[in-house]
Amino acid sequence: MGDERSYRVALVADRYVNPEPGQLDGLAVLAAAGWGVMQLPDDGYPAGVARPLLAEVAEQVEEFTRRGYGFILVGERDGLAEALALVGVAVPDRIVPASAAELREFLAVQPVPSALGAARDRPGQAATAAPE
Amino acid sequence: MGVAFVAHCLLNQNSKVRDGAHCPGVYSPIVDVLRARGWRIEQMPCPELAFAGLNRFWAVREQYDTAAFRRHCQRLATAVARAIETRVQQGEEIVLVGVEGSPSMGVTITSSDPQRGGRPAWPDGSPELTSGEGIFVEELHAELGRRGITVRVAGETHAIPGHDEAGQRARLESVLEHRDG
Repeated sequence: MGDERSYRVALVADRYVNPEPGQLDGLAVLAAAGWGVMQLPDDGYPAGVARPLLAEVAEQVEEFTRRGYGFILVGERDGLAEALALVGVAVPDRIVPASAAELREFLAVQPVPSALGAARDRPGQAATAAPE
Repeated sequence: MGVAFVAHCLLNQNSKVRDGAHCPGVYSPIVDVLRARGWRIEQMPCPELAFAGLNRFWAVREQYDTAAFRRHCQRLATAVARAIETRVQQGEEIVLVGVEGSPSMGVTITSSDPQRGGRPAWPDGSPELTSGEGIFVEELHAELGRRGITVRVAGETHAIPGHDEAGQRARLESVLEHRDG
């Protein structure tokens, strides 16, 4: 069985996953470009709801980062930097895109994740990994 | 319309166990149905990713059914249940979209093999699928039950024999529309 993962993950503010009419649909752009999405809690959640969710996001980011997956941040989220700091991870390269074209350009210049290179060297693995 | 709380891997196939990613990132067949029908999407954490890591082996429910994994799932379930409770208080309908066949995220089908363990070597097609919920979904239902909340469920069905996207879509649409069957 082939594995089609891209080794690229975007932390994405809720407003780009659930955009209001007329606003940028970041999820669609990221899906088309082959990026995985880790959604950040909606800004409307009380801190007591959002904080534990951010802590879980951070733990998962730490695992991806340690394994050499590529990471970016699309948008912003209060409390994210603090949650990442608790697991020893820096905030990744960030964009607050105003248009789909701007987001696509940002994705296009991201480096090849080290995990993707390692997968290509592994016999029988990742032959169908996403295009760069 | 309402809020669909979806399994992590439906937005991020990079979280899948190795050899399990069906596409590079976002699994669109589920996401597209939810969005076309006006449902908000909220992604749940992947129970297996933070616990067993990206290099974990394929596993069945019994291998994850330990006190430590239960505690991990209870912590995640509490965080997710708080979010669901908030949406319920806002008057939203809730649907839980899991992954059928998953030891942690199955909603009506999980995987079971009481004998599995040791050096990983088993043939494809092992009869491991069985009716039931995965461990995280079980813990989430328990936590929601304590809060007096019930939710409808649907599942992504790639791991189920005979999977086809049209059938998967029809089942999801049925759940979203709150019809039986």
